[in-house]
Amino acid sequence: MSDATGVIHDIGYQRYTGPRLGRRQVFGALYLHGVRTVFGLGRSAKAKIFPWLVVSVVTVVAAGVTAVRSQIGEVVMTYAQFADAMSWLVIFFAAVAAPELVSRDLRSGVLPLYFSRPLPRGDYALSKLLALVTALWLLLGGPQLVMFLGAAFTTNRGVRGVWDELLDLLPGLLYAGLWAVVFASIALLVASLTGKRAFAAGGIVAVFLMTTPVVGVLSILPSQTINQLAFVASPPTLVGGVGNWALGDRLTQGRGGMPIGDFGPVYAVAAVLLVAGCVALLLLRYRKVAAR
Amino acid sequence: MSTVTWITARGLFGRSRFLMLLPLPLVLIGLAVLCRSLGVDPGQWGPPVLVGLGLAVVLPVVALIVGTGVLGAEIDDGTVVHILTKPLPRWQIVLPKLAVAAGVTAVTVGVPIYVAGVLADSVRLGLALVAASAAGALAYSALFLALSLVTRRPVLLGLVYVLIWEGLLGRFVSGTRVLSIQQWVIALADRMAPTPLLGTTVSVPVAAVLTALVAVGFTVLAIDRLRSFSVAGETS
Repeated sequence: MSDATGVIHDIGYQRYTGPRLGRRQVFGALYLHGVRTVFGLGRSAKAKIFPWLVVSVVTVVAAGVTAVRSQIGEVVMTYAQFADAMSWLVIFFAAVAAPELVSRDLRSGVLPLYFSRPLPRGDYALSKLLALVTALWLLLGGPQLVMFLGAAFTTNRGVRGVWDELLDLLPGLLYAGLWAVVFASIALLVASLTGKRAFAAGGIVAVFLMTTPVVGVLSILPSQTINQLAFVASPPTLVGGVGNWALGDRLTQGRGGMPIGDFGPVYAVAAVLLVAGCVALLLLRYRKVAAR
Repeated sequence: MSTVTWITARGLFGRSRFLMLLPLPLVLIGLAVLCRSLGVDPGQWGPPVLVGLGLAVVLPVVALIVGTGVLGAEIDDGTVVHILTKPLPRWQIVLPKLAVAAGVTAVTVGVPIYVAGVLADSVRLGLALVAASAAGALAYSALFLALSLVTRRPVLLGLVYVLIWEGLLGRFVSGTRVLSIQQWVIALADRMAPTPLLGTTVSVPVAAVLTALVAVGFTVLAIDRLRSFSVAGETS
């Protein structure tokens, strides 16, 4: 036995002794990164094409509506109706955004890297969900702000007119939030099932489009109860039904709402259950993915 | 049956995600049966089920997923190199893949829409819908196959076409209907079995010529693009 000759040299590595940011900062960073991902910020020009295409289309529509209103004085659509009219574009935007948020991480297998940090499984899914909700809300709320500014600056009733306009805008923004929550939770759940962005996008659109004709069929069945409950079957009309019940006249401004009868609370419960179910399944999904 | 056909079919059916396609046809049949059993007037439920769901949603969405999948999936994971390095003329790669895509789409859509058509009106309407949707499946598949070679984001571009061009503009701007595969399919089906259930503004000769033109044109484009195809990494 020779004597041990090896020496461990101190080559000057230092331990990190500064403050360690906690769970909230991890969540915040992931959320901010998610919102930037959706709009393609900090990524190549190719990643910006589709999100900004949708954003520009909705903004142009809002500007057109505002221009018509300021020139002719006719209200083409209210703030809440704007969200309804843009539903196809919102579906497309969700189909672009949700796969970018979750499918890429699944495909490139970086989830173990995320979960090796002090990041609970649920936080990852919830931060992505919150990012998508924010993005969808901005998509719908931004053009409404354009419409509001246009209306506020052309009003001829002074501050009183601006205040009335603001009272119309706030329910519209609330309604846009409802849209964002319902659409984001469904889209993210579908996208989290597959690592292929192409399949995820197709699946999201299929889910939303497939349910629309179901409403059309249910509303012509020979039963008034089923007719009034028909709008539950599809996410866009479900949101419309809830808005109709909760915001009532503010939403439609006397332009004929949906014939949902007395089932308003049923719509609200259905929307809450839908969102809760989607979020629960999403969390369950990430528990399983993380365990792999 | 060539090897390429065999590989493509196995690539489509070998994965469990093919099951994602099944709910669409099932909903179509389910709604038709429900309406029929409750005795609703076919004039009322025919248009939303046959056109609104069948021809406007199920056909394009199935064609989109299958059509971009047959070649796009291989391009995505890079295995397309294995086929490209074989001493095969490019048309012998594109045509079998197109045949599989169109065939799978036509069967997936044809069966439920035949059932719905028979329940709505007659066997004749069912057969007309099957024939027209098969022609539409060929045109859609050629379009989406070519898209997957022209761009790296074929599904999103295809969705732009289906959702915004056919769905949004087709409803409000009548001029775009002339260039909409969906309207051609409706026109062809209406010609083969005239019923009040289907209605379109596009004339039948225009629809037939344009359908053939799109099917052939995009196939030629796909073959041409595959000649000078460069393999690249995933888009950022």
